[in-house]
Amino acid sequence: MRAGTLVRLALAGTRTDHLRTTLTAASSALAALALLAAATVLAIKGGADVIGPDGSYSRTAGAERYSSPYLHEAGLRPGVAAVFVVLSLLVLVLAGQCIRLGAPARDRRLAAIRLAGATPRQAVLIASAETVTAAVLGSVAGLGVYLLLRVLLDRRTKEGLLLLPTDLLPPALTIIGLLLVVPVLAGLAGAFLLRRVVISPLGVTRRTRSRGPLPWPGALIAIGFVLFQVPGWVGLGIGGNGWAAMLAVGGVVCVLGVVLGTGWITYTTGRLLRRFGARPAMLLAGKRLIADPWSGSRTLAALLASVVVGAAALGVRAGFVAQFDAYETMDGVSAGADEGFYLGGVDLFLIAVAIGVVISTAGTLVALTEGIVARRRSYAALTAVGVPTATLAEAVLWQVLSPLVPALLVALATGVGAGQIYNMSDQAATVPVGALGLLGGGTLLMMLLAAGIGLLVLRSSTDLEELRAG
Amino acid sequence: MTALISGTALHHAYGPTPALRGVDIEIGAGEVVAVTGPSGCGKSTLLHCLAGILKVDAGEVRYRDQDIALWSEAARSRLRRTDFGMLFQFGQLVPELTAGENVALPLLLGGAPRKQARATAASWLERFGVAELADKLPGTLSGGQQQRVAVARAMVTEPQVLFADEPTGALDALAGERVLTAIVGVARERGMAVVLVTHDSQIAAYADREVALRDGVVDASGLGLRMSA
Ligand SMILES: Nc1ncnc2c1ncn2[C@@H]1O[C@H](COP(=O)(O)OP(=O)(O)OP(=O)(O)O)[C@@H](O)[C@H]1O
Ligand SMILES: [Mg+2]
Repeated sequence: MRAGTLVRLALAGTRTDHLRTTLTAASSALAALALLAAATVLAIKGGADVIGPDGSYSRTAGAERYSSPYLHEAGLRPGVAAVFVVLSLLVLVLAGQCIRLGAPARDRRLAAIRLAGATPRQAVLIASAETVTAAVLGSVAGLGVYLLLRVLLDRRTKEGLLLLPTDLLPPALTIIGLLLVVPVLAGLAGAFLLRRVVISPLGVTRRTRSRGPLPWPGALIAIGFVLFQVPGWVGLGIGGNGWAAMLAVGGVVCVLGVVLGTGWITYTTGRLLRRFGARPAMLLAGKRLIADPWSGSRTLAALLASVVVGAAALGVRAGFVAQFDAYETMDGVSAGADEGFYLGGVDLFLIAVAIGVVISTAGTLVALTEGIVARRRSYAALTAVGVPTATLAEAVLWQVLSPLVPALLVALATGVGAGQIYNMSDQAATVPVGALGLLGGGTLLMMLLAAGIGLLVLRSSTDLEELRAG
Repeated sequence: MTALISGTALHHAYGPTPALRGVDIEIGAGEVVAVTGPSGCGKSTLLHCLAGILKVDAGEVRYRDQDIALWSEAARSRLRRTDFGMLFQFGQLVPELTAGENVALPLLLGGAPRKQARATAASWLERFGVAELADKLPGTLSGGQQQRVAVARAMVTEPQVLFADEPTGALDALAGERVLTAIVGVARERGMAVVLVTHDSQIAAYADREVALRDGVVDASGLGLRMSA
């Protein structure tokens, strides 16, 4: 099969397919933009501490031309870059959630292509090529936006300082590498999602495991905690690139543990609802949760990731506050400027997390409505045999909320734990219960909103006309 | 006559439901064979097993003296592309591709250059009288037109065997006749074997020979729906 054929087959599709491709491209553009921003921050030189032979303290030159204090210190810039990397990962997860959009029509197309003589490998290639092509186009567009923003945001303060590092570019090789990383990650995610899918000429089936999910992925959380400790054990200096990378890896492993563990949580809540549910809606919801326990992981992945990271950041913030309070009582002097600097940094990070929660709520909404639309026939059939719409709506709410609440608690606990370990102060920081409650409550509220919109879709889906259509 | 393709003691079950329970069948080169029998007797299953779409649970499927039941999925896919043509009742065209692209698809999947594939496709569309529909999407064609496009696609690789499952089931008598005449015409002209699944005795009359199935085995009376050819 030639490349031209592959692209033609990959991009042939209906409106839903084009929507999916557009969303994939848009998320890739955002991810590429965030990664380029991270690389730009890392490209800044200077600001490293130098202790002269006479004991004098100075900083290497290069970073003082920027107005933001978060760019001045060499030790802080990896943290700033990490914020951008985390945002790009969240956006990529969102792209992953879009992959299932319009799956039935695509399945039919892939089966028809197999019937025309495509090998299983070719079929998988065609399915992944769509994602990769969209991601390539998206990340190139991301580069375009980045170059445009460099020009548009090239502003100076009254003191003549640059607002943003618009005067330098990451090395060309880094730029090319980043533009390749996004499509490769998207392609891998696509192939991963297709691993249980059998595309035969007679149709597409998903191999389901007969046994329910097991709780073992939860162990990844513990492994992540161990990884957090590694820099301390091997003596990697705090603030270096190696240190930041290790924290990032530990964070990703923790988040994976929470997200994959949600499969088991979903399955178990489903069984509990089946067993102890008193209302018909609970039984219906339980049945659906057991039938597709991974739906929770799929729909909640980005949201849970944001919550873990956000809870950790809140923990770190509490650590800083405790540290500065201790200095104050010790020396009797206020650490005002420093305190404002550090807390301001964490607050910036928390804003990024809030953006992440909003992005991932959008992803959840996409996944939720997709789930409802995909099953509209069976919903319509249930209405036809006399199940009240209210019961169906209640079932959808149970289905969304009953696994969400325990998963949210696990995510919060993981984040708090990670924040405590990461917390380098020697002061025992109190767990910021209020702020965590705000994070958890806010997330729950966003999900209720998403479920509400999902219910509106359900109302139009239970139309009896659905039973006669196509 | 040695058989071009044959099945020996074929068994296939869908979970606990047995569909084939030991079927023997032989088709010679250029032979047109009708497979008949009541609904649910296993006709489609037999066709899918012979074409290598379904794996048999037990038994042998020999094509040119090779047991293709043992081949990998990929190898069987390639064989379907090069040596077999598939024709179903409906739904085998890719809805998002034009009629011309659909017909060119097997050639393109095999790595043929686009221009050449489109030209070959156009000549087959021409042959079945649907050349002017090349740029239309299947959804905008009538059932009979769609089916003639599907026949063109099944023929585009010049297969040795055509597997057709109720190819006229969704068509009216006249449209059905056009499709069948086209298939049998090509078979006679190029010596292509045809396995034609149908439950309609009038359609079975187009075949050289009839194999009747009943409950997953060949009906021993051997005459099936039709008394004799
Ligand atoms: N995908 C499937 N899953 C489970 N059982 C199946 C499946 N396909 C067919 N069967 C069963 O296998 C048996 C044979 O089916 P098959 O489709 O081969 O019959 P057929 O002779 O083609 O019938 P028809 O004339 O109605 O097309 C039937 O009992 C049918 O119910
Ligand atoms: Mg059949």
